[in-house]
Amino acid sequence: MDLETFQNRVLSSKSKLFRFALRMLGNEDEAKDVLQEVFIRVWNNREKMDQIQNMEAWCMRITKNLSLDRLRSLQRKGTYPIAEGFDIKQTDATPDVKIELGESMLNVNQLIASLPEKQRQVIHLRDVEGYTYNEICEILELDMNQVKVSLFRARNAVKEKLMKINAYGL
Amino acid sequence: MDSRKLEELLQKYWNCESSLEEEEQLREYFRGENIPDALSEMARLFRYFDEQRARTTDVEFDPTMPLQLKTKHSDKKGKIVKLFYNTMRIAAGVAVLLAAVYFVRQEVRNDNTIAVEDTFDDPQKAFEETKRALLMISKGFGNAEQQARKINMFNEAQEKIQTPTTEENFNN
Repeated sequence: MDLETFQNRVLSSKSKLFRFALRMLGNEDEAKDVLQEVFIRVWNNREKMDQIQNMEAWCMRITKNLSLDRLRSLQRKGTYPIAEGFDIKQTDATPDVKIELGESMLNVNQLIASLPEKQRQVIHLRDVEGYTYNEICEILELDMNQVKVSLFRARNAVKEKLMKINAYGL
Repeated sequence: MDSRKLEELLQKYWNCESSLEEEEQLREYFRGENIPDALSEMARLFRYFDEQRARTTDVEFDPTMPLQLKTKHSDKKGKIVKLFYNTMRIAAGVAVLLAAVYFVRQEVRNDNTIAVEDTFDDPQKAFEETKRALLMISKGFGNAEQQARKINMFNEAQEKIQTPTTEENFNN
């Protein structure tokens, strides 16, 4: 794969890769680091690239794996809260994120951030990025059933919480 | 979009039965104005998805830059530093062990020196001294033997006394 192909097939999806890393890590700097790592890894393996059919899904998969590695290493070092529960994630949003999203969007962001990891990944890939179920299976290395169950649970958890917010103004 | 169609699409969406096209229709609907209050939270959710999709990054990657070399180099450096630290740990352990062995040996050697300090340079003198020491031990043994004989005499006397007594008892 030459430079032009790399730019067309890999760099063109950098925003999607960044958003996915950001969704998993919840930190912009870490997500950017992971993105650089993804590019380096893809470029170093460019000889094998011609055999890959869906380059974007493949890059997304690398992003997922590297983000998970990063997440584990941050948790091991104790510099990162373990992603469990709604309250921990609530304090997670940095001031710039707050301004960027606006208060009302921040609530939705927190709702999604509070979901279990797999559900968070699936709802992001489907509802933000608009991937087909088959592509999500390929990216997350899951079967169709697991993807659909995770998406169902994620959407319904979000729905339930949004209903509560609507009813009680929480 | 009429409310019945909307209701149907939303139902499909929550049940994960909607296609990407149908989800796009929902997205389109919630982008518009005049959303009923009951659906305001849903609108917020879909608008959030839209906003997220619009996020980009300024991260650039130019493979012609020596970035990969730099990364490889820094990895290598990290490994060397780690190796150095590990080696130093082992070296420290070995140093402590060697120091301990050295001191123990020194201690043992000192003990031995005390034990062999009283040797004589002249063999004749040493012989005399040994002889004297052995004589002293021998004399000691002699004394002990005399004492032992006395005890033996007592034992014999006791046996003599006891034997007739038992015989008498037997006769009675």
